[in-house]
Amino acid sequence: MPIRWRLRMTSLDVPLALAAIALVVLGLLVVYSATSVPGAHHGLWTKQLMWAFVALGAAWLAAAIPYRAYDALAYPLYLISLLLLVLVLVMGTSAMGAKRWLDFGPLRFQPSEIAKLGTVLMLARRFDNPKLDLRKIQYWLPALLLTLIPFALVAKQPDLGTALSFPVLLVTLYYWAGMPLGNLLLGLSPVFNVALFFITGSLWWFAGLLAALLGIIRPRVATLIVVLLLNGVVSYALPHLWHHLADYQRRRIETFLNPSNDPYGAGYQIIQSKIAIGSGGVLGKGYLKGSQKALAFLPMRHTDFIYSVVGEELGLIGALTVVILYAVVIVRGFRLAVVARNSFASLMAAGIVSALFFHIMVNMLMTVGWAPVTGLPLPLLSYGGTALLVNGVQLGLLENVALRRQEI
Amino acid sequence: MLSSTPARRIREERYRLIAGVLTVGFSLVVIALLRLQVVDHDLYSELSKENRVRLEVLRSPRGAIFDRRGMLLADSAPSFTIVFRPFPAESVAAARITQSARWVERVAELVEIDTLEVRRHVQEASRTGQSVALRRNAPPPVRVGVEEMRSELPGIEVQVEPLRHYPNGTLAAHLLGYAGEINETELDSLSTQGYRSGDLIGRTGIERRYEDILRGRDGAEFVVVNAMGKRVSALSEGPPQPPEAGHNLYLTIDLRVQRALEDAMANVERGAVVAIDPRDGGILGMVSRPTFDPNEISQGLSAERWKELSEGAANPFLNRAMQGTYPPGSTFKPISMLAALQYHAAKTTTTFEPCTGRYQFGDRWFNCWKPTGHGVLNLVQALEYSCDVYFYQLGPRIGLDHLVETAHAFGIGDKTGIDLPQERRGLLPDEAWYNKRWGTGHWRKGTMLNLVIGQGELLTTPLQLALMMAEIADRGRPLRPHVVQSVAAVPDYRPERPLGTGFVTAAANWDALQDGLFRVVDAGTGTRAKVPGLGVAGKTGTAQNPHGKDHALFVCYAPLDHPQIALAIVDENSGHGGTYAAPLAGRILRQLFLPDSLAAKVRPAPVDTAEAEHAD
Repeated sequence: MPIRWRLRMTSLDVPLALAAIALVVLGLLVVYSATSVPGAHHGLWTKQLMWAFVALGAAWLAAAIPYRAYDALAYPLYLISLLLLVLVLVMGTSAMGAKRWLDFGPLRFQPSEIAKLGTVLMLARRFDNPKLDLRKIQYWLPALLLTLIPFALVAKQPDLGTALSFPVLLVTLYYWAGMPLGNLLLGLSPVFNVALFFITGSLWWFAGLLAALLGIIRPRVATLIVVLLLNGVVSYALPHLWHHLADYQRRRIETFLNPSNDPYGAGYQIIQSKIAIGSGGVLGKGYLKGSQKALAFLPMRHTDFIYSVVGEELGLIGALTVVILYAVVIVRGFRLAVVARNSFASLMAAGIVSALFFHIMVNMLMTVGWAPVTGLPLPLLSYGGTALLVNGVQLGLLENVALRRQEI
Repeated sequence: MLSSTPARRIREERYRLIAGVLTVGFSLVVIALLRLQVVDHDLYSELSKENRVRLEVLRSPRGAIFDRRGMLLADSAPSFTIVFRPFPAESVAAARITQSARWVERVAELVEIDTLEVRRHVQEASRTGQSVALRRNAPPPVRVGVEEMRSELPGIEVQVEPLRHYPNGTLAAHLLGYAGEINETELDSLSTQGYRSGDLIGRTGIERRYEDILRGRDGAEFVVVNAMGKRVSALSEGPPQPPEAGHNLYLTIDLRVQRALEDAMANVERGAVVAIDPRDGGILGMVSRPTFDPNEISQGLSAERWKELSEGAANPFLNRAMQGTYPPGSTFKPISMLAALQYHAAKTTTTFEPCTGRYQFGDRWFNCWKPTGHGVLNLVQALEYSCDVYFYQLGPRIGLDHLVETAHAFGIGDKTGIDLPQERRGLLPDEAWYNKRWGTGHWRKGTMLNLVIGQGELLTTPLQLALMMAEIADRGRPLRPHVVQSVAAVPDYRPERPLGTGFVTAAANWDALQDGLFRVVDAGTGTRAKVPGLGVAGKTGTAQNPHGKDHALFVCYAPLDHPQIALAIVDENSGHGGTYAAPLAGRILRQLFLPDSLAAKVRPAPVDTAEAEHAD
């Protein structure tokens, strides 16, 4: 299959492309507004415009190359991204107390973005196997371990938000590649166990849920024993470990898991974000007229909190428009995963879209105060060169799947 | 494989769950938006006008520090901070007031700071929207003045904040350390741990080492204020988060011992003393001279005063007890004696060539500290009178390796692992070190003669010497010196394991050494440390150094039979150890072991530098 520089409009997924471009354009306008206050970050939008063109070119390239080439690139890209993640920890540039960037002369980029794509391709390649049976340990365990490496490296930065997109990817692809839902839920049960313990403070909630789940699934005896044993150990160890820790150690863990616990850092930002969005009302205060933004009370208004600026200046109408545009990208993306010509393409599309969806949800729910402050930017909309470039490539890959879905 | 294959059908089936998740996700966002922008729009609209929501920080007090009996060493006291609260940009009239020269001058005059500083703070506050401290720990007149004038000075307020307080002033200043306001660089790397501008952070000593435990967590409350910045109500959204106090620390320090050490050292210009409990390695007291008052730092120092303290020649911030390194001089001889006995270089009764005040080795002459000489002595007597010539002859018989091995067992040249930051390790030169320093074969065996009397390149900290004496008192059992005895939040807190291996030798060797050390104080060079009715085992030392007069050293433990305290004293550039350091130990031991009435009566013999027996 040759490289096709001229993309046939007939097979291109037009709604997907248009929605993505609309989001980038909207993002440029809002970044302009968010940085229009005299002083900090003035003129960042021109940099973002330049990146937008770079991203468009990259998307074109990603779409033109037959995706079988990515199959071959999967492991090299994965390994390179791991190397970059290690480099970040060793010599990265820190901002707000976390090391996330690598400096190359004037260029500065965030390897965790590249690692996500590398992991998607790596998993797609592993699961593109006619003999694949994810009920068997020799298939699911290596994938789990290979995903935990970038997860751990990113969590160490520390960037828990981005790190969590790795397990999200993995779980989505497990499911998409055919792991039975029951097995998947049982496998995830220790995670629910820990989560419910932290939320409710008691183990009974989880015990009830697990019993119900086991009743519905009726797994084999061996599986049942493993699941019960695993959860038994977790349930027994967790409260002991937790109560054994000193107050200040617990405090550190809490702040790590939920930075908005910290009342006058993240907590303050959430209140300001809610005020900005809420005061926007249905019609908004008007483009370039947000007062909450103008007061610089949101320090990351052009990155993590850009959706607050949308809500304040463009109101419910603007905010809903953004939701709809994202819904188009995500739904069309997943449809491509359904209709893709082969399973590698399908898995690649599903992986890309699930990570995007996770980012969008975590960021939007954070700005409305329903999710912890994690420092995840909004894909396509937020200021940020590496993210825009990688997202351009990812959307290019989705279009690639669209272009070749009819081919034999 | 075309699109209507079974694979496609399976995917369609799986897509149903995915579609459900997507629908729920996007719906959540829409519901949240409707709540904020339609249902509660009026509320948020009101709050957004004039920046009506403010964050009140509820400062948490830092944990207190107590001695082993619960006597207070450090706590927090309320202090008053004058702050400026910025006005919202839309409140043009109020914002304009703060730009006026009259307002700035009035504030500068009342708060007693520079007008430039006022302007700088106001600009910073307007940029970030957060209040800034104009002056911390404002004295009462300033505070009263500001409170009286508040109605005329919009934006200016008085806040109560906890201030670090050290009730005993300079007492144990080096050991406790001090806590200072966090700086920009630290903020950048520590902001994820919840540090904010204006927070205190431990910088030296206990305050730094146990920062995690001492530091509490600030609380916060969101409040709604009116246009003039007055509180109207609490914001219903965020319930106030109460501050959590830091945890209290209980030290091994005994305030009585610490006071005795401080009293004894009061007239020492530069020097240090460390007291260790030989039973468990707990530090009973630690003094370094010159000293400083940590209160001065927590109350805020002027730049000049800071410079004076930190760059002065005497360097009062240096904790000489564990950061000062000194040649141990003759206080090293107990190690040499033990090595000689252990490796059969001599017996207690062995005699060598008589001491004539000097000794020839190769083509070099080595002097004894007593120019008239000691005559013929055995090993125990050589220790008692600290005869250098005897030890010169002993040195080559022990051998460098054996001597180094013995010193190493007592932790000389290694960090003791005390729970205080920035401990120095000193230097214990061995053969490899000499080969590296001078080149293999390019150094003389005479070097060994300096080492065996604690001179040459050998460097130790007073803490190491105190630890050495504590371990000798306990017949070689290794100890881990430590300062913290218990932590309020950690019920099963234990000091860490000793780093050293300890020293194992025959009981007879310990008997000989301890007997020798008793004789030093009873009739030898250390008689000035004598206390009636108390058995004291000690050793004097005089360290030659390139910075002027000799350093006087004295190490000891007491009581002889059931040791409760081990001491190491250094008095820099004063002279002989027996003359200057031993009396300080005597004074400390009298104060601790004699009843008050008796301690006052028993005075040490007057210092007589001509009296050679009290030298070295």
